[in-house]
Amino acid sequence: MMEKLYLIARIADTRVALRSRAINSVVTVGIPVEVPGAPPHVAGLFALRSRVFTLIDPHVVIGMPAVPVASGQRVIVVDVADHGYALLADAIEDVCFIEAPETRVAGKLLPGWARVADAMIEHQGASLLVVDPSHFITLPALKAA
Amino acid sequence: MVQLQFLGRTGTVIDDLLNDFLAETAEILAEAGGAIVAWEADPADRAQLDAIFRLVHTTKGSSSFLDLPRITALSHAAEDALDQVRRGKRKANAALVTGVLAIIDRLHMLCSALGKDGFEPSGDDRDVIAALAEADSSADPGQLVAGVPLRRDDDFRGELQSWRSIRVPLPLLDSVMTGVTDIVLARNEFARMLRESGVSPAVIASFDRLSDSIAGMRQSVSQMRMQRIDKLFAPLPRIVRDLAQDMGKKIAFQTSGGEVELDREMMENIRDPLIHIVRNAIDHGIEALEDRVAAGKDITATISVSARQSGNQIEIEVRDDGRGMSPDALVAKAIASRAITAAEARALSSKDKLELVFRPGFSTAAKITEVSGRGVGMDIVKANVEKIGGVVELRNDEGRGLTILLRVPMTLTIISGLMVRAAGQYFAIPRGAVREILLENGDTVRIDRVGGGELATVRGEQYPLLRLEKVLGREASDDDDVDDRALVIVRPGQGQSYALSVAAIHDHEELVIKPAAPMIMATGLYAGTTLPDNGRPVLLLDVQGLVAVAAIDATETGRNHDQMAAAEAQANAARNAAQLLLFRDTNGRVRGVRLSVIERVEEVPASALFESAGRIQVQIGDEIFAVHTAKLPDAEGSLKLLRLFDGQSVLCYPIAEVIDIVRLPDAVQPSAAPGLIAGVVLVCGEPVELIDPFWLMAQYGALDDVSRPNQPLCRLSDDHDGWGGNFLAPILRSAGYRVVSDDDAADDAPDVLLCLTEDGASCAHVGDEIPMIRLRSAVAAAGPDDETVYRYDRQALLDALARRVGGIRT
Repeated sequence: MMEKLYLIARIADTRVALRSRAINSVVTVGIPVEVPGAPPHVAGLFALRSRVFTLIDPHVVIGMPAVPVASGQRVIVVDVADHGYALLADAIEDVCFIEAPETRVAGKLLPGWARVADAMIEHQGASLLVVDPSHFITLPALKAA
Repeated sequence: MVQLQFLGRTGTVIDDLLNDFLAETAEILAEAGGAIVAWEADPADRAQLDAIFRLVHTTKGSSSFLDLPRITALSHAAEDALDQVRRGKRKANAALVTGVLAIIDRLHMLCSALGKDGFEPSGDDRDVIAALAEADSSADPGQLVAGVPLRRDDDFRGELQSWRSIRVPLPLLDSVMTGVTDIVLARNEFARMLRESGVSPAVIASFDRLSDSIAGMRQSVSQMRMQRIDKLFAPLPRIVRDLAQDMGKKIAFQTSGGEVELDREMMENIRDPLIHIVRNAIDHGIEALEDRVAAGKDITATISVSARQSGNQIEIEVRDDGRGMSPDALVAKAIASRAITAAEARALSSKDKLELVFRPGFSTAAKITEVSGRGVGMDIVKANVEKIGGVVELRNDEGRGLTILLRVPMTLTIISGLMVRAAGQYFAIPRGAVREILLENGDTVRIDRVGGGELATVRGEQYPLLRLEKVLGREASDDDDVDDRALVIVRPGQGQSYALSVAAIHDHEELVIKPAAPMIMATGLYAGTTLPDNGRPVLLLDVQGLVAVAAIDATETGRNHDQMAAAEAQANAARNAAQLLLFRDTNGRVRGVRLSVIERVEEVPASALFESAGRIQVQIGDEIFAVHTAKLPDAEGSLKLLRLFDGQSVLCYPIAEVIDIVRLPDAVQPSAAPGLIAGVVLVCGEPVELIDPFWLMAQYGALDDVSRPNQPLCRLSDDHDGWGGNFLAPILRSAGYRVVSDDDAADDAPDVLLCLTEDGASCAHVGDEIPMIRLRSAVAAAGPDDETVYRYDRQALLDALARRVGGIRT
């Protein structure tokens, strides 16, 4: 059943469906601690239950300008390769079961989205991109270099 | 490695004992493997031998108690053989070592089976036991060396010590650690609340006592988890020995810094990466013997693994003196495997090119070998090291070797840190790396701007000055008070120091350090993250990394240019000193030749050699070279050839094998007559015949058949019946002339004319300013003035040509 459970959120100005399996929790954060010298998509660090998480700004990963982090911002906490990360979300909409199958991405996406989107899914009369949160963690290699 | 699946099972007392036995034996076997290889290198090392004996003896003792007959028998056989060596009844040699290693391998196998199934599998071990006994056949059983102390008491000293320690399951140790970490975090938070609430001094004093005992406790727990890095190095000598033997390479393996201590969890995480890197070095890094010779390197390669502590980090360096990595080859490979496009490749810096090796699924080996290149690549190494907050660095010296540096935090636990402020935020510096803290505008500090850089002079000592804001790429905060600015004298490692200027010093704190995310570690600025009292994350600065990012030279020793130049000159001189390549000739003799005349060592199939024109020649690629040998090789298979090169031509000299490269001794006993052997020299007390490359080349010098523009042009006139073209031209060409006939369009004027008709009157070119030789078909000359040459008198013809043209080599 877990396979069918999705988190619907607005990330980088786009509604997406995240597979719930990859998600740890959704929390609100205060002002994060900056990391001078880090790649641009690292929005900072914050602590949660004695653990330090790295805040990622998906806007930058998609190729848009970074957004300032407001206190009380909601973030999606994920674990990738034994490290804790959190994705800045514009809005968290819902957690729901979607019975429709995931389908191949049809149509041409912006390059930034094409890299992170795995599939598409139909939900309440709208098509959503299915994205893997781990794709937001790394910038395209050459861009980061 | 022995898989201890059985460890998870708990049941009877016997199960527990078996678990203990397996854990202990796995450790012992790993240790013994390394110790035996070390002992093989130095059989006179009595302490090493005693250590191995004790290890095997312990295994025998515990296995007999648990009724494991095969393990008992095997360890008994090894113990027996080693005991004989200890008593001087038997000599230690390679066969014995191989025999003992075979037994250890068998023990490994049995233990893993035992761990999986819970019982000892049935089977026959007579093969390995017999092999060990056979290795003894050369020994004289009757011989007894008197005066070798039996030292029976010592044998059990190790065992007695082991009774004083106990085995604790790792999960238990880990849970103690997590518990202490949480206590420290809770205490930090509690401390903050106490400060804010303004409680009575009595409460504070009582809390301080609690703090002290917590600090003491976390110290002990950290030590519980620390292990000497020796343990990590123990299996390496064995791996190197076996692999080097398999691949026919000579490798000297060294480890150093084994006393450095590292957190157990760190150790687990870098074990596989380290082994992988060492295997890679042997398989890909170290060249074949012949290639090393050709590159002018010592035939015995060196791989060294060293560990050192630097601040709160451990640096593990794996250095080899092999071929290094070729950035261009990496790029070609990446493009071929479609990892990157050619356009992307052009944009890469040379460092980026090297980093390609960390791409998933990347293997630099042209072909996948059995040893490495099994899909476990450098990407896995990097991922494993990064997982624990470490960094992998490559230092490539193409053609000279590769150094791979693993930098990992010493512990994932708690360190004492100094909190500093810069650019309006806090950072932590490991207390261990801080030597001194000074106020920047204090009397003892002088700061000079020198050519754009800054220099701090403290009591006469100079330090390069780093401003933390600048290194981090930030502006100094407006809130900072200039009077607060402080200098932290940091000593990141042995022999290095610099002054770090920060906006303010905050305080000391016990910090629980956790690795930061890989992209943050990759900046090279940070060594981890921590959560201090106030609950806001703080970045721990990487004091070593700052040096690299700021690109300053933090070494303390003043650079003495004269000394450096002298050292370099000396190194150059050593490289240029005459070196002698020792090889075994095809007749079994040990001979030597100056290394500088050897272009390279070729290995060719025997079928590449052929006989032609009374000479043995070899085809290598598209070229044909003369070979110094009387007959074609009888055997199939391959053949090694030394390629001698005098700047113009190549001569191949067949050898059985390359032995070594040594310094050419000064004293040469010259031979009586010129010949193949120029003389005899003594190398390590053994006479070695020195090949005379001058004589050798002289024998084959005329063979060079390559047409060169400066070769004289010989024109055959009146060659009506084709005799000139068919019979004469080949001889002329092999003597170093270019040949054209009347039919060829003559581009340049010939140097000499060969007139093939006897009556000079009909020769078409009489009157030209070109010297001419006439050939006659009669053997006898027509008279004393007859200048014609008999057409089958090869020598006379060549002489005549040489006289007319001059300066032709014969």
